[in-house]
Amino acid sequence: MPDSPLLPSDAHASSAHSAHTSSPQSTHAHGAHPPTRRALRVGVAGPVGTGKSSILATLCGQLADSLAMAVVTNDIYTDEDARFLRSAGVLPTDRIHAVETGACPHTAIRDDISANLDAVEDLEAAHGPLDVVLVESGGDNLTATFSPALVDAQIFCLDVAGGGDVARKGGPGIRGADLLVVNKTDLAPYVGVDVTRMVADARGARDERPVLALSKNDPDSVAELADWLRDTLARHRAGTLVPRDPGPMAPHSHPHPRP
Amino acid sequence: MTGELATLLLCDGRLPVGAYTYSAGLEPAVAAGLTRDQVPGLLRARLRTVSVTEAAAAVLALRAGLRDPVDHAPVQAALAARTPTAPLREASAALGRGVHRLARRLAADHPAVAALEHAAVPGTAPARPLRPIVTGALAAALGVGEAALARTVLYDDLQTVTSAALKLLPGDPLDAVAWILACEPQLEAAVAESRAVTSADSLPARSAPLTEQWALEHPHNERRLFLA
Ligand SMILES: Nc1nc2c(ncn2[C@@H]2O[C@H](COP(=O)(O)OP(=O)(O)OP(=O)(O)O)[C@@H](O)[C@H]2O)c(=O)[nH]1
Ligand SMILES: [Mg+2]
Repeated sequence: MPDSPLLPSDAHASSAHSAHTSSPQSTHAHGAHPPTRRALRVGVAGPVGTGKSSILATLCGQLADSLAMAVVTNDIYTDEDARFLRSAGVLPTDRIHAVETGACPHTAIRDDISANLDAVEDLEAAHGPLDVVLVESGGDNLTATFSPALVDAQIFCLDVAGGGDVARKGGPGIRGADLLVVNKTDLAPYVGVDVTRMVADARGARDERPVLALSKNDPDSVAELADWLRDTLARHRAGTLVPRDPGPMAPHSHPHPRP
Repeated sequence: MTGELATLLLCDGRLPVGAYTYSAGLEPAVAAGLTRDQVPGLLRARLRTVSVTEAAAAVLALRAGLRDPVDHAPVQAALAARTPTAPLREASAALGRGVHRLARRLAADHPAVAALEHAAVPGTAPARPLRPIVTGALAAALGVGEAALARTVLYDDLQTVTSAALKLLPGDPLDAVAWILACEPQLEAAVAESRAVTSADSLPARSAPLTEQWALEHPHNERRLFLA
C-alpha cells in the first residue's frame, strides 16, 4: 500500500487485512459491514463542467485493465455524458448506462434513487461480478450529494476555473465527501488561482478528510486518484468501509442578532 | 390496518419509487406539438383510455392478491396485451420495479407481494410485472380498498402529467391544481368503471393511438428528460 496522504488514518491497518483472514467488525467502532463481493459503488458529484466525466474516464483508463468496471451517468438533459464516455473508449459501450432524471438530478442521487439502483443492478446482472461501479451525478450545485443507500463512497469535484474561493464556501459535498478533488490544476496560472491556497482552504473545511489537487495532464496526481480508488475498494472488500452521508448543509456559525 | 394512511402514501409524489422520471406521455406529446392549453384535454383523454385500463388492472391485481393461491399472471398478460407499444410496456415495468422494491421492503412475506416474482410470463417481454400489477399487490398487503386504489392510480396519472407540465410547458403551478380538480367527474366515472371489471378477460382495451405513436417516437428524442 503506497503511503499516500489521501488515505484516511484507519486505512492502512484495515486494508492490510484480507477479506478471508480477519473480522474487521470486531475492531471497528461503528457497525462495519461484513466482507462483501458486491461491487464497490463510488459516486462523483460536483458543479457543472468541473470534470466529473473526465474523472470517470481517467479512472476507467487507469483501472479497467485490472478491475471489472461499469458506469452510470445522470444527465440533466441528454445522454451526453454517457456518449462522451463511450467515445473515450475506456470501457465497452454496454457497460455505460445513462438514466433519465426527469429534470431532477438532485433527487435522482439522493431523495429517490430508484432509477440509479435499477441501472446499477442491471449492470451487475449483465456484466457481474463487477469490482467497481462509478456513478456520475448530473452537474448540480454545491448542495448535491449522494445517498449512502446508493454509493459506498463519494468524490466531490471542484475545479480551479470556478474560482479559488469555492472551497471555502463549504456545503456538504465539500465538507463531507470521502474525497474532495480540486480539478484542472493545470489551468490555475490562466485563471489566477493559487492552488496551494485553495487546497489549504479545502483541508480547513474537511477535518482530516483527504483533498486531491488533480489534473488529467499530471500523471502523479492521476496515480494518486487511482490509488485512492484501489484503497477504497480494499476497505470495501474487507468490510471496513462504512458509507457515510456528507449530510445536510453545514450549520452557519455567524451570530444572529436577538430581537 | 385500515389502509387509509397507506392510500395517502401511495398517491404522494414524494414516494421514493422513481415516478418523477416519468411524464405519463406528456413529453412525447409536447414533442409532437401539444400546447399548454391542450393539457386539460389530454388529462381527460387519459382518464378515458390508458388510465382506466391501468386502474382496472390494479383492482384486479388487488383482488388476485387477496386470493389463495395468488396468481398475478392473467392480469399481467391481459394488461400487456392492452399496452401495444414496447416503450410503454417497458416504462410500466421500469416504474413497477420501483414500487416492487418498496413492496419487498414493506411486506416481502405477504402472498400478494411474494407472488410478484412469478407475475411475468416467462419468455415474454417485459420480464417484470407492470406497474398496476405491483401497485395492486402492494395495496393488498397494506389493506388499501378497491375504490381508494383505483382513485390513487388515476390521480397519480393526472399528477404525473401536470407536474411534468411545470417543466415542459411552464406556467402558473396553481393552474395545474385547478386542471386536476376539474377532472373529478371523469375520474369518479373511471373509478366506478374500474371496480365493475370482473375478470382479466373483460379488462378494458382502451389504448389511445396517438399516445402509442408518440411513445414510439420518444426513445429517439435525444433531448428527452423523461422515461416516457
Ligand atoms: N485543462 C483541463 N481541462 C480539463 C481537466 N479535466 C476536465 N477538463 C475539461 O473540462 C471540461 C468539462 O469536463 P467534463 O469531464 O465534461 O466535466 P463534467 O463535470 O462531467 O461536466 P457536466 O457533466 O456537464 O457537469 C472538458 O472540456 C474537459 O476536457 C483537466 O484536468 N485539465
Ligand atoms: Mg459529465
